[in-house]
Amino acid sequence: MKASRRLEGLLVAGVAVLLALLVISVIILAVGKNPLLVFSSLLQGAGWLPKPKYAGGRGVLTDFMGLLDAMTPMLFAALAVAIAFRAGLFNIGVAGQMLAAGFLATVIVGYSPLTAVLAKPLVLLVGLAVGGALGAFVGFLKARFNIHEVVSTIMLNYIVLYITSFFIKSYYIDPVSRQSRAISSEARLTLMNVDLGGLSSRLPLCFLLAVALAVLFYLLLARTRLGFEIRAVGKSRKAAQYSGINARRTIVLSMALSGCSAGLAGVTYYLGCFNSILPAELSNIGFDSIAVALLANSNPLGSILSSLLITTLTYGSNYMSSTAGISEYIASLMIGVVLLFSACGGFFQYLLGRRRKALELDKEATGGAGIGTGGSSGSSNPGAGAGTGDSPGSEYDQDAKAAGQP
Amino acid sequence: MNPIIIDGLSFALPLLIIAIGGIFSERSGVTNLALEGLLGFGAFTGGLCFVLITQILPMDSAVAFYLSFLAAALGGCAFSLIHALLCIKLRANQVISGVVINIAAVALTGFLTVQINTLAFAGASNKFLLTTAPRFSVPFLCDIPVLGAFFTKLYPFQPLIVVLAVICWFLLYRSRIGLRIRACGSNPQAVDAAGLSVGRIRLFAVAASGALAGLGGICFAYSISANVSPSIYFGGGFLAIAAMIFGNWKLVPTLLACLVFGFARSAASQLVLLLKMDSSVTDLAMIVPYALVLVLLVFFSRNTRAPKALGEVYDKGQR
Repeated sequence: MKASRRLEGLLVAGVAVLLALLVISVIILAVGKNPLLVFSSLLQGAGWLPKPKYAGGRGVLTDFMGLLDAMTPMLFAALAVAIAFRAGLFNIGVAGQMLAAGFLATVIVGYSPLTAVLAKPLVLLVGLAVGGALGAFVGFLKARFNIHEVVSTIMLNYIVLYITSFFIKSYYIDPVSRQSRAISSEARLTLMNVDLGGLSSRLPLCFLLAVALAVLFYLLLARTRLGFEIRAVGKSRKAAQYSGINARRTIVLSMALSGCSAGLAGVTYYLGCFNSILPAELSNIGFDSIAVALLANSNPLGSILSSLLITTLTYGSNYMSSTAGISEYIASLMIGVVLLFSACGGFFQYLLGRRRKALELDKEATGGAGIGTGGSSGSSNPGAGAGTGDSPGSEYDQDAKAAGQP
Repeated sequence: MNPIIIDGLSFALPLLIIAIGGIFSERSGVTNLALEGLLGFGAFTGGLCFVLITQILPMDSAVAFYLSFLAAALGGCAFSLIHALLCIKLRANQVISGVVINIAAVALTGFLTVQINTLAFAGASNKFLLTTAPRFSVPFLCDIPVLGAFFTKLYPFQPLIVVLAVICWFLLYRSRIGLRIRACGSNPQAVDAAGLSVGRIRLFAVAASGALAGLGGICFAYSISANVSPSIYFGGGFLAIAAMIFGNWKLVPTLLACLVFGFARSAASQLVLLLKMDSSVTDLAMIVPYALVLVLLVFFSRNTRAPKALGEVYDKGQR
């Protein structure tokens, strides 16, 4: 049952993506371009297909490593959104947490004369600490003062944005690029111009770390006590509280975990993909990651796939707009439409769930002794209402059920 | 003192109309985080209307100016129907739907602006240029010391917003539809039992919130930057949401919250000017309204009473 429901989630996400591609194709046609050409140049730009010609020392692999480099912060950010989501919290402050972590890591480590062995782990640590602290602060505001995390994270986004902008413009500005001064290459988390089989390319050092974190979050949610508590609080804070779970502590902890992951996203973005910070600008990753997590239905493992997809859209769009002659905005439009359809995904799953329930009822009615075996997986073992949480979609079923709860 | 009141008011009133939009939607039980996107889309359609009328038809820009408000309200209303469709019909998570609409609005308005500019006006600019709105002072009243500032250098949309706010108050608290909207937010089952369609009432409320947010969007476009560009997404919608939560989802306290934000913002920037500080300090002054929201929320959030059925999909079968 569980496996089939997970498959269902994949199916729904796939349908959402396909529908989105269809809609975008129509838009591209309306603008007077060939959608196939646009999509293939998108894939070429993202390193999935070979381009017609390359500059010296570059190749498909160069583009693909660039894609992985861009995907690393995206995956961290998506995990941040996903883990908060599972606790019933909506962290739209990922962009701000990223900026705060990236800024402090830049100032503390990026401008220091430390050697690579010391600097790189220190950058990660600063990212973890700053992001985690901001996340925990939001969790604290929610748990202690009942401040909605959506409002507080957005306010913090702007506060972080303006503070960092002030400091960068006043103290760390590079007069030529109008960005913060470049960090030392010792502290940078992406190695530049690495020789890979004769091709010069980027080497994102933290890509495997991001994948490992996805697995770790998955195991945490599925196999540990804290993970169970997070899911239980996410389903119903009151019910979790009554069953003896310290909901406040869980909220603070899950926001801290989310913030840690966002902090890692920040350092791999500002001190990895790039080596400086543009003042007064939040990264798009902070918001695109919501799309990624949503598409994966907040499943950490699914986030790997969906961040690969969304990064392909954003990373390939540059090449696409220059070769196919279509505005780069089409990429963000694509993400928007994917999001719209995956937001409807809950409805498809609701329909599927209703059909399944009806089928089961039929079975029970005809089979007779269906108690215990014929019930949905939710009722067959205690606590599994939350236990099925890692199959995508149960969140939406739950929303429908929650309507009647006090 | 006067500039603080003048600038504060011109920021607070558009914020108020957006927040009232939020009240409509949330009192009917539909969480509306989409206000930011709705105001952006409203500003886009309003700006488009203005540009089309002034550049294609040889028409007076005053006509275009007023028509653009209508277009903004219609645009915001139309875009909010997506939110209504997702939340009411398709049973999507309302928070997710709101955020999705924000992201979609940023992408769509950006894309369309560039496309339209390249097609119609031969330039791949990402903004529509508006005129600076004419400002006026009420004769006699503006001569009163201190209080006169409330009647000085007004944008034409400010009295409009005040009138609309009064109408909205009447609609919400003294009319049949208002009662129904509020009932949908606290006890949709009762509304259903009374033989009314919860979905239809919520649809009306969300559409109204879209229209009001769109209107607020074009007001911001005229007063802040005199153009419609991606910078319209500066967080006004979220500030409005914060003001609404402050105001406990009630109209008059929300007005006070909006005034506090507006005056805090203008006071901070006036302070920077007054102390002759470096312009980079303006960035720090910009923090004030946002930080103030956080601090005030610490004190007020405990007593907040959200509409009881807020954020829940109405399911006839549930009790």
